[in-house]
Amino acid sequence: MRSRLSAVCRYEFRMQIRKRSLWVSTAGLAMLIAVAQGDRGPRYLPAGTSAAEVMASWALLFSMLLPIGFGMVLADRLVRDHRIGAAPLLASLPTRPGALVAGKYAGSVAATAVPGLLVLLVTAGGEFAHRGDVALFGWAFVAFAVVLLPGLAFVAAFALVCPMVISAPLFRVLFAGYWFWGNMLGPNYLPSLTGTLLTPIGDYPASWLMGGKALYAGDSGWLPFLRPEPGGGAALLSVVLLTVLASLPLAFAGSLMTRRTSS
Amino acid sequence: MSLWRYEARRAGWPACLAAPASLLVTLALAVASLGFGAPPPSVHGVLLSGVEALVPLAAAMAAVTVVSVDRCRELQLALPAAYAGTLGRRLGVVAGIGAALSVLFSAVLRLTGSWTGPQSPLASVLVWASPLLGLTGLALLVAVLGRSVVLATTTVAVMWLCQQLFAPALAAGTWSRPFFLFMTSRAGVADGWGTNRAVLAACGVLFITAALLLLRRPERLLTEEEV
Repeated sequence: MRSRLSAVCRYEFRMQIRKRSLWVSTAGLAMLIAVAQGDRGPRYLPAGTSAAEVMASWALLFSMLLPIGFGMVLADRLVRDHRIGAAPLLASLPTRPGALVAGKYAGSVAATAVPGLLVLLVTAGGEFAHRGDVALFGWAFVAFAVVLLPGLAFVAAFALVCPMVISAPLFRVLFAGYWFWGNMLGPNYLPSLTGTLLTPIGDYPASWLMGGKALYAGDSGWLPFLRPEPGGGAALLSVVLLTVLASLPLAFAGSLMTRRTSS
Repeated sequence: MSLWRYEARRAGWPACLAAPASLLVTLALAVASLGFGAPPPSVHGVLLSGVEALVPLAAAMAAVTVVSVDRCRELQLALPAAYAGTLGRRLGVVAGIGAALSVLFSAVLRLTGSWTGPQSPLASVLVWASPLLGLTGLALLVAVLGRSVVLATTTVAVMWLCQQLFAPALAAGTWSRPFFLFMTSRAGVADGWGTNRAVLAACGVLFITAALLLLRRPERLLTEEEV
């Protein structure tokens, strides 16, 4: 069972990592963010700022836009198997639909995580050139693990499964709208998930690493019970909640795939 | 008429449903805002954003789908009918659905006193028509040029998102103001509104013209599968 899961994960990873569009969109978005960040961005943090704060700021900045590209890349992964006729072939394998979905999910997350991590490491290299603090590289890994990766895992789960119900084009429209509404629209403007523990851009983990409010974490607004004061516990709770939420669509993916293949 | 019905079916139900879905989301957000005690001007702002921001986004994403997901392209290219014309009809169906719904939605907002856009009927059409033309034109050009669904949809989504994120700076800048997509809902009908709408529409026409020039060699679309 484990070897089959690992095999599915490996082939999905290899297929994804070779997709030119994944690398082009990640590089393009990273460059856009680096150039357009404005004078309040992490590039302009004063000398002497801690390595943790510098890399957390960069991770938060990247997590505002990079998942958009990842969501667009992953939106047709399961739907595509049906379109090109690979779904019946995969269904004939002695691998259960659940293991197939889990393997594809793990492979997809791993493949999209690689360019994300590389972007942060390249940024750490750039910051090292003028700050000279080797700890930047270590904090790049930490910031990636707690700020960028949980959001990526969250986006990947919905991007893989939702298009099987509402189609990839409709998912892409709603995803772009959701990303703004649920992550960056000020909670005082209208009811939104911005600033809650369910914010996949990593507002709470970034606030914990930076030692202060990163964006909107904990701001008063809709669903006050999901807006505790930022801190280590709240950051951990945010990561756990995002992981639990990501597992919800995946729980239905196996049956959705089976139904589509048999219809 | 049967030809247009056929083209609507070829465009696919997701492309045709994108605009109605975006307006349903707008209504849901407006109802949620009302339910949580948002003041009427905020709710009216949400409704206006639906017409100015969400419908153009939906039309642009649908345009990418229409260009990129045609499983009979080889067959289409073998026919005497120009492929640009076929594609134009399908895009016309998608844009037409968005336009018809926007007109209807705007009229209902006017009748209920919830309209915060310009008072002139012609100008109120420009609230949604200019960003729709600009964003859909960009989507079409990138889809034809890049031959990649991911590249085109990411470009549209990022352009939309960045314009929302940097709205105050874009609305205030002399050079960025004419290219700002959400002028009505984020800055109101202020100075330079007419220029903004004209520039956006002109950009859309320019993008569509460039895409049509590229489509003079439609066989260049044949290698788009999963780049």
